[in-house]
Amino acid sequence: MLSLLTRRLIRLVVVLAGVSVVTFSILQVSGDPVSLMMPEAPESDRAVLRQSMGFNDPLPVQFARFVRNIARGDFGQSFFHREPALPLVLERMPTTLLLTVLAMALSLSLALPIGILSAIRRNSVFDHSATLLVFLGTSMPVFWTGIMLILLFAVQLRWLPVSGWESWAALVLPAATLATFSTPLLLRIVRSSMLEVVNLDYVRTARAKGVSESLVICRHALTNAALPLVTVAGLQFGLLLGGAVITETVFAVPGVGRLIVGAIRQLDFPIVQAGVFLLALIVVLVNFAVDVLYIYLNPQIRVR
Amino acid sequence: MAVRTLSSGVRLEDRAARSAERSRVWRKLVRNPAAIAGVFVLAAVVGAALFAPYVAPQDPARQSLIRRFTPPVWAEAGKAAYPLGTDQVGRDILSRIVYGARVSLVVGVAAVLVSLVVGVTLGLLSGFLQGRVDTVIMTVVDVTLSFPQLLLALAFVAALGPSLVTIIVVLGLTGWERYTRVVRAEVLALREKDFVEAARAIGASPIRTLLRHLLPNTFSSIIVMSTLQVAQAILQEAALSFLGVGTGSVHPTWGQMIALGRDFVSVAWWLPTFPGLAILLTVLAINLVGDRLRDALDPRVG
Amino acid sequence: MKRCAPLAAFVLAVLTLVAIPVAGFAQGKDTLTVALPSHAPTLDPHMHFERVGILVNINMFDSLLHRDTKLQFVPSLATSWKALSDTQWEFKIRKGVRFHNGDVLTPADVKYSFDRVIDPAKKSPQYGNVRAIKEVKVVDAETVHIITDKPFPLLLERLVFFPIVNKKHVEAVGDQAFGTTSPVGTGPWKFVEWKRDQVIRLEAFDRHWRGKPAFKHLNFRAIPEVATQVAEIKTGGVDIIRNVSADIQPELKNHPVAYISSTPILRVHWIAFDMRTAPFDKKAVRQAANYAIDKQAIIQKLMAGLGTQVATVVQPLAFGFDAEVKPYPYDPKKAKELLAQGGFPNGVDITLHSASVANRPEFEALCQMLTEVGLRTTPRLWDPGPAWNKFSQGEGKGTNGIYGTWGNYSVFDADAVLHPLYHTEPGGWYGKWYARMEGLDKLIDEARSSVDQPKRKRLYAQIQQMIRDEAPSAFLWTQYDTLGISKKVQYAARPDEWLWLYDAKPATR
Repeated sequence: MLSLLTRRLIRLVVVLAGVSVVTFSILQVSGDPVSLMMPEAPESDRAVLRQSMGFNDPLPVQFARFVRNIARGDFGQSFFHREPALPLVLERMPTTLLLTVLAMALSLSLALPIGILSAIRRNSVFDHSATLLVFLGTSMPVFWTGIMLILLFAVQLRWLPVSGWESWAALVLPAATLATFSTPLLLRIVRSSMLEVVNLDYVRTARAKGVSESLVICRHALTNAALPLVTVAGLQFGLLLGGAVITETVFAVPGVGRLIVGAIRQLDFPIVQAGVFLLALIVVLVNFAVDVLYIYLNPQIRVR
Repeated sequence: MAVRTLSSGVRLEDRAARSAERSRVWRKLVRNPAAIAGVFVLAAVVGAALFAPYVAPQDPARQSLIRRFTPPVWAEAGKAAYPLGTDQVGRDILSRIVYGARVSLVVGVAAVLVSLVVGVTLGLLSGFLQGRVDTVIMTVVDVTLSFPQLLLALAFVAALGPSLVTIIVVLGLTGWERYTRVVRAEVLALREKDFVEAARAIGASPIRTLLRHLLPNTFSSIIVMSTLQVAQAILQEAALSFLGVGTGSVHPTWGQMIALGRDFVSVAWWLPTFPGLAILLTVLAINLVGDRLRDALDPRVG
Repeated sequence: MKRCAPLAAFVLAVLTLVAIPVAGFAQGKDTLTVALPSHAPTLDPHMHFERVGILVNINMFDSLLHRDTKLQFVPSLATSWKALSDTQWEFKIRKGVRFHNGDVLTPADVKYSFDRVIDPAKKSPQYGNVRAIKEVKVVDAETVHIITDKPFPLLLERLVFFPIVNKKHVEAVGDQAFGTTSPVGTGPWKFVEWKRDQVIRLEAFDRHWRGKPAFKHLNFRAIPEVATQVAEIKTGGVDIIRNVSADIQPELKNHPVAYISSTPILRVHWIAFDMRTAPFDKKAVRQAANYAIDKQAIIQKLMAGLGTQVATVVQPLAFGFDAEVKPYPYDPKKAKELLAQGGFPNGVDITLHSASVANRPEFEALCQMLTEVGLRTTPRLWDPGPAWNKFSQGEGKGTNGIYGTWGNYSVFDADAVLHPLYHTEPGGWYGKWYARMEGLDKLIDEARSSVDQPKRKRLYAQIQQMIRDEAPSAFLWTQYDTLGISKKVQYAARPDEWLWLYDAKPATR
């Protein structure tokens, strides 16, 4: 198990290196960053700045410098805010993470009961309509879902505030909108894991022994579903972060996604780089944690 | 059936098995009402896209300031000439949706083709060459999966400058990993099988043999993944339009129509609603068909 | 489901660890909440040039002059002023004005504020506005002299938005902290907190020299989506929203909770023709474009009548406007004739660019009208931002023309629109790329280097006649600004697009 962990750790480092390369290339691909920093300056000034910032150096040298800098946490100055880019991103990270975690929690709390019930009452009206409803969620563009939810719950029914991030109530709609993203896959996994278990021998035996049905279901089925759920969780996290970008814009949530989108619009690449790198880092770490968890939970690997 | 030379004998046997398999899949599909509905919807969408000039009631670019914000035909002020209403400069929504089907589908399908080509190639390379090449490619897969895909697409499209081609390429580069995984797994599995050894023994090229067997075995997975990915590409394009990085083409995509109409949702709800419904129905249809296809093709599920 | 309970508890524990303020917005009767699409990158009034930043700054900082609702200059931190010569002005500074931190305003603060912007090393984005100011001298305990390097007729205009900051304080905390955590000024509200991308909270300043404002709390919320802003005002989440488009107005006009306030403003719409290349290098074609557009139809149908057709880009509210110059009427037949005269009897294909996202319907309608007379237009819409700025102004690639709007930065003077749009000097905005008219540069220079107002007026009349004839642009209209306001607040939109919330009062009922 230890060697497996070490291998995973090595992979983590390598992936991070790849992430740095991709992040680095974003700025390179955009053309001339100096003309973005000083749009009105004459070319002579820009040439001076270009030289002093090292943009004339060969690419590998620039890349090495980039890696050294980000290891120290220096992603450069935001063109727009004129402040270091990393703190601006870090300051908004907890908000985005909270939104993503909430959405996942909401997804799970929907996927579990509905998935289990769907499996038990397989092919019933409930099963089919639950599946359909969940499909609907993934078939709508996220921003559209958000706008519709605002219209219904905030404007029409007045149950919840329209936007912002100031109270517990304001968290509900954004989290719910995001949750429509991840619920379908989780639901499907719970359902199919349940289906695999429901007819198994030991369940039938337990039932014959008179053990309460729900206890049986919970204990065995959830164990069975746990593994694939955990595997998928890492992937879902990355997806959710992407959806968070849009949700934050619609609901005016002060998170990283909104910051990055604004920065992209303004071609403020230091912030884009800092934000994208940090988010990728989090996804990589979450996936690593998921890997470790998987190794721990998977009886086959442990026994070996 | 007489057994011919080893390679063709294997072929014949597989072919019979495959056709039996295909009819089983077909029967399973046909029995499912949701899948049938999905197929009809998709046929309608594709048909609308192909025959747009004949299907659309109006010229989608024709403006009419007098007719702006006409509600759909069933509402009080609606007009039959504009069944789904008009937008802020009087253009017919239905016609715009019909023409929009073209761009949306082109973006969706083209992006998936890019994904397919890149993904399958890398999967083949990975499986055949193994060793270092394999490790490098799988690391690239991991790296790609670490980024929130939408943000990366957004960043690159902004950096390169938005255009139809850029968007197709960037969206295509955010989904190729699954093809690589599937193809690679299949190549690795096939390498173990006896007939490869046997083929080599009789002097037939192992690579060609592998390829000939690879395609049928991965065909179903690839089909399913592609259909589902077209849906995803359409949604992602809508998201990019919402965030302001549209294709800039003359006819708007459905996503752009929603993005443009969302400010008017309280005075003219039909502006963003119908393109949204178009996306919804198309993507739903694709998802339903793809899902049933997957179930049908999976021998394990009863 | 027993396993689920600990999971849920864990999640909840995580959530409570992350700090979220439990209290919502203070939405009492003494709180005024304004929705802005975003926040400026800094609260330092000299270090940004965003409209959204200006709107916040004017409520926290005072300038030497102020404008009343009739657009007349009134004293603010300067109680009186006079011109000592063509290049020297004297200002008497008000006594007893307090900063938010208790310090008393002195002329040294005035000098420091100007020096901060004039100094090129500080890289203030507002430098261009006050480049003509050579020096600010403190004469005595209540007088300063402002010296310009040549006659600068726009001086008073510029002084309306030139916030005065506290020298001692800024030097003590540094520029960075001043702009983010302690922006101290003399304005009616003082800073409480700034949650980035979320809300800027201000509180009434009891010792403000005009007296306390009517609302105790003032919040500026950053809400990027228009649909969200509209929903917020309907549900009482905000009290004022800006730039309400003509199509949304009917909803709010008759709403139980909100109302509309509109007023004409400086913002003028125009299409800049690229006169360097065909077909707009020919006068006949440019004039044809002017005849081709049915401006009244657009104003009535797309702007709910809230617009005024103009003869040239000089706005009716600006100094130097000449009412004698008549606008181009709508005459598509004449447009086609002129186009044929210009050498295009079968029409010609052109491209028009625009980054005016809010005016997309107008842009599309314009392109359609031009196409109908033979100027087959391909519209290209851009996202406003550095890429667009680079394209249109940095590299001058906006061929064959650009549809845009110009707000003069609230300067009510013809120079503030003529110079940037038509003057061809290298540091300019649009003129340097797209306009090519003989003799116009000289006239503009002459008009802006004199302080003799009647002489300037004559020159501007001459300029307007000239550009009306030469048609370097398609002349369109000026628009109105519309605010959506909650019925619990009494406030009216201003022609200079300012949100001078000192005038806002709780509704009496």
